Amino acid sequence: MLQFKSMRKPGVLTSAIALTLTGLTGFSASPAGASSYQKAHAGGTLTLLASTAGGTLDPQVNYTLEYWQLYQATYDGLVTFQKVNGQASFTVVPDLATSLPKITNGGKTYTFTLRKGIKFSNGQTVTVNDVKATFIRLFKVSNPNSGSWYNAIAGGDACVATPASCTLSGLVVNAATNTVTFNLAKVDPEFIDQLAVPFGAILPAGTPAKDQGSTPVPGTGAYTFQSYNPATSLVMVRNPYFKVWNAKAQPQGYPNKIVENFGMTVESEVTAVENGQADWVFDPLPADRLGEISTKYPSQLSLHQLTANWYLPMNTNIAPFNNLKARQALNYAINKNNVVSLYGGTKLANPTCTILPKGFPGHTNFCGYTKGGGSNYKGPDMAKAKALVAASGTKGAVVKLVATNDAVNASVAQYVVSVLNQLGYKASVVLQSANIQFSYIQNTNNKVQISLTQWFQDYPAASDFINVLLGCSTFHPGSDNSINISGFCNTGIEAKIKAAEKLGITNPAGANVLWGQLDKTLMANYAPWVPLINPKLTDFVSKRVGNYKFSLEFYMYVDQLWVK
Amino acid sequence: MGALLVLIFVAVICLCAPLYANDWAHVNAFSSNINGRFFIDGHWRSLLQANTQGLGLGVSPVGPTWHLNNYFLGADSQGRDVFARLLYGGRDSLLIGTTSALICVLLATISGLAAGYFGGVIDWLVSRLLDITWAFPVYLLAISLSVILVTSGFSVGPVHIQAGSLLLPIIIIALIYVPYVARPLRGIVMTLKEREFIQAAIGSGASDWRILRKEILPNVAPSIIVFFPLMVAFNMLTESALSFLGVGVQPPNASWGTIINDGLDLLYSRPWVAMAPGLMIVITAGALNLLGDGFRDAFDPKAKLRGSI
Amino acid sequence: MLSFTLRRALSALLVLFAISIAVFLIFFATPGVDPAARIAGRSASPATLAHVRAAFGLNRPIFIRYLLMMDHLFIKRDLTSYVNVGLKVVPQVLKAAPITLALVSGAAAIWLTMGIFGGIVAAANRGKFIDPLVMFIGIAAVSVPAYWLGEVVNLITQSRLHSSVFSWVPSGGYVSLTQNPFEWALHLLFPWLTLAALYAGIYARVLRAELVNAMNEDYVRTARAKGLSERRILIRHALRCSLISIVSLFGLDFGALIGGAALLTEVVFGLPGVGMLTYTALQNLDLPVIMACVLYGSFFVVLANAVVDVLYAFLDPRVRVA
Repeated sequence: MLQFKSMRKPGVLTSAIALTLTGLTGFSASPAGASSYQKAHAGGTLTLLASTAGGTLDPQVNYTLEYWQLYQATYDGLVTFQKVNGQASFTVVPDLATSLPKITNGGKTYTFTLRKGIKFSNGQTVTVNDVKATFIRLFKVSNPNSGSWYNAIAGGDACVATPASCTLSGLVVNAATNTVTFNLAKVDPEFIDQLAVPFGAILPAGTPAKDQGSTPVPGTGAYTFQSYNPATSLVMVRNPYFKVWNAKAQPQGYPNKIVENFGMTVESEVTAVENGQADWVFDPLPADRLGEISTKYPSQLSLHQLTANWYLPMNTNIAPFNNLKARQALNYAINKNNVVSLYGGTKLANPTCTILPKGFPGHTNFCGYTKGGGSNYKGPDMAKAKALVAASGTKGAVVKLVATNDAVNASVAQYVVSVLNQLGYKASVVLQSANIQFSYIQNTNNKVQISLTQWFQDYPAASDFINVLLGCSTFHPGSDNSINISGFCNTGIEAKIKAAEKLGITNPAGANVLWGQLDKTLMANYAPWVPLINPKLTDFVSKRVGNYKFSLEFYMYVDQLWVK
Repeated sequence: MGALLVLIFVAVICLCAPLYANDWAHVNAFSSNINGRFFIDGHWRSLLQANTQGLGLGVSPVGPTWHLNNYFLGADSQGRDVFARLLYGGRDSLLIGTTSALICVLLATISGLAAGYFGGVIDWLVSRLLDITWAFPVYLLAISLSVILVTSGFSVGPVHIQAGSLLLPIIIIALIYVPYVARPLRGIVMTLKEREFIQAAIGSGASDWRILRKEILPNVAPSIIVFFPLMVAFNMLTESALSFLGVGVQPPNASWGTIINDGLDLLYSRPWVAMAPGLMIVITAGALNLLGDGFRDAFDPKAKLRGSI
Repeated sequence: MLSFTLRRALSALLVLFAISIAVFLIFFATPGVDPAARIAGRSASPATLAHVRAAFGLNRPIFIRYLLMMDHLFIKRDLTSYVNVGLKVVPQVLKAAPITLALVSGAAAIWLTMGIFGGIVAAANRGKFIDPLVMFIGIAAVSVPAYWLGEVVNLITQSRLHSSVFSWVPSGGYVSLTQNPFEWALHLLFPWLTLAALYAGIYARVLRAELVNAMNEDYVRTARAKGLSERRILIRHALRCSLISIVSLFGLDFGALIGGAALLTEVVFGLPGVGMLTYTALQNLDLPVIMACVLYGSFFVVLANAVVDVLYAFLDPRVRVA
């Protein structure tokens, strides 16, 4: 999962669909590109605000949305998600490669040709050796997904085991033909997506094989990081060596300088943007300011439906939720409209009954647990829920719900506990700091029965929800890294997951149908979660800002904003 | 005297919280009531109201109605009656304040007496322990302990305290303020020990236990009595600060500190949720401090206004 | 005298050592806190996790880890954060310290002035209306939760009256003195007043009590017999002696506040001082920063205690044997 931000309360985000530029009347909706680049608007300094920094600046280590959003303007991979408005931003396009790869050998060989003449921000020319070094470095710096994504490259598993002696035999480069060939150890339909995220950014071969922390690493984007102090600010300036080669992959930006300041409280950040002292707030807007902002500054606010899920994973291995009827009962009993209300109202979230978020590849609209039936959520059915609890024989069980202690999570958790008590459980809530909670609920040693958490996509593929969150391969008993929080591992379902992944290589559309069916089967027959809501993102910009554009993958294009 | 009356009044109305909630206002102070409605001015209104202006973002709980039996101070973001919670919260705040002050003063008396009377190794050990607790920045100590204990509870041998139990903040707060009381007591005992009547008792071969009980304790008792209301006030303030930082009383329990914390998320739209419990703390702690002044005048006019010098 | 000072310094070191161990143990006793799991990222494979753990030395025995951390903190002075990898901790503390110092010294100046003035006025007007009034305000001030007062001040200056009376109040944060002295004072004004309000009351009460006691002492009677005016006796004679207890009280409070006790005020007003640094580190469970901040804070508390003790021993030789 992509973290919204390192080490802070889980935010509100990930990718969006059905872009709704509610109030942004003055904003152009034309796609970004060289042809539409408007020189008149270039220049000035864009000031962004975030309450805390996002951790290391190393693009091969950082796993937060806070910096992935900025990396769009500073780094390029062989391929990237298209930098345009709306649904098309989910499409992968060639970036440092001349075209999308030639896939041969039954989906196991990917061949790219590298573009010539592109330079890093330190003046060096990008060569195939940089590509090779980049992918070896991924393992040497212990990239978060080196052992879960990039080990698909032949020789990758050896690199995970002993990074020091990593040669990554499966990656073959040829300087004469300027080609890069990935030989995969196993077929991986998501490999192209995994190359398109910032982890796949090509860095100079000489970059030290150690997390660079607050030292900026040169890249090929339109901007380059000039300085970074996690306590005060991050500064981006134009990359002097940048020339547009594919405006859909890396467009020219508008501001001359982009500064992100850290350390203000969110309340002060909002006030600063209201007063025009800064241009954008990264953090989720505080609930009690929403009314004020949406009334006084509607034209500076935009809303985007996200493909993210708030959900209650139930531990399918310990009482009372090892009982299917108990899990189904809670699915019937929770009033998801109340959760919407606690999140900020119907304009900010939608109730959901499915594992795959609305608008996500593979999503089918159904709702197994709702008053009155049908495929849309209508409300809770307490009578059915209570009958199920009685039938399950779990009535009176002690239940502890583990949630994070920020305002919204804490209030949703308290509501869920009220419902559990109404169902006849002896329920209470344990609130923890967000930094502890996410590891705590994963570790089976902590015997967590039920928790409240969120999942944000990495890239648009159904397996990023179903395989990652409910597959056997991500359940590691006794480990803090066991993202299958429900501890759900069923051989029948596992076989169907494998089948859907396999079909995905040759027939993505067909595979998505399978994923949709899998979603339905999981909820109907196993109900390992209570899916709650799909949240929306609110972006609040200053009055002077223009040309607001939004990517479903990485959100607002920071470098495309006009301040002139 | 006025202070005592105020305290009794606060205690009594807080003790009547269930009476108020169940029989008068008919609300449940601990259960979420998100789609709840209430009847006022001849209309049914929702407790949580969605914003209808502008883009219509945000949901606000109902504000104070100033009708004593009908959401007097409005609702919080869970749709619960703030006034009822204020009364229930007072019970926990007072309970934590007094019990932690009791434990604190008890431990401080034991350690202060032991260190002051026996001297030597015991004094050295106790004094260093007190030094450590004293030098550990108070809030840091409390927060560090709370983060862990609130997360995982506490379990040593047969003693097991559940995470989220009220006992946790009580014990934490009691422990961090032990040096505050123990150090001056130790000083008093040391001076007492040099006095003739104690030396005479030691000379007569009386047991240490007897001397401590019969001679020393009665002489430090006035100081202890003077300290007590001050510590209750102090501990209530600390409890509220811990709850503000999210590491004090855990939901669904409420204390004035947790209600302030809930209220801060509504500060701009519904300031009363945070204001009311703060005022209650000021009133109660103020009365306790006045009471402490009264005790000092009555029992020990020379006692310091603040310990540990 | 020298041996007393030495003994005091040794026991202070011992206390600091014990505190560092306590912080370390508390941290690693917390479930779900494994820094490696967080550094490695949220879907890291077990092998990746093991490498990260080794890279940060987290697989070593706990006492070695402790020694390594102390080595990086005090000897190499290059201890880095677990959360913002590469961020050196010592410079962060050194950068935050002046902000806390600015907050606390400004507030101290205000509360000393107000406290001493209030104490004198109350003592001079004993039995009149103004004495109980000053004392009542003093009691109310010590009974207010610090953060709540801060939030109420914020509510009034930032929201309720921001468009009228308080439009000149900046929206929190800190501006350095060298950058703009006027803005510096403006940003600190309300934090100063809030912090000072909590202490002025107690100082006024302590001073009044001391003054009242002093007015019954022999030397005051002598002065009175000489026919000096009451006011002159109060200021010239009684005040001089009474200030000693104020000074030692001040030593302890100042030490504790510099050491991080101003945490709540800093958090509420968004001042990036040591308290704020500690608060964020605690929220992030960033052990290196927590360790540095706690030791830094304890150092000042211990130092203030030691200085006050030695000062007392200097003034009163009987204490030295104790």
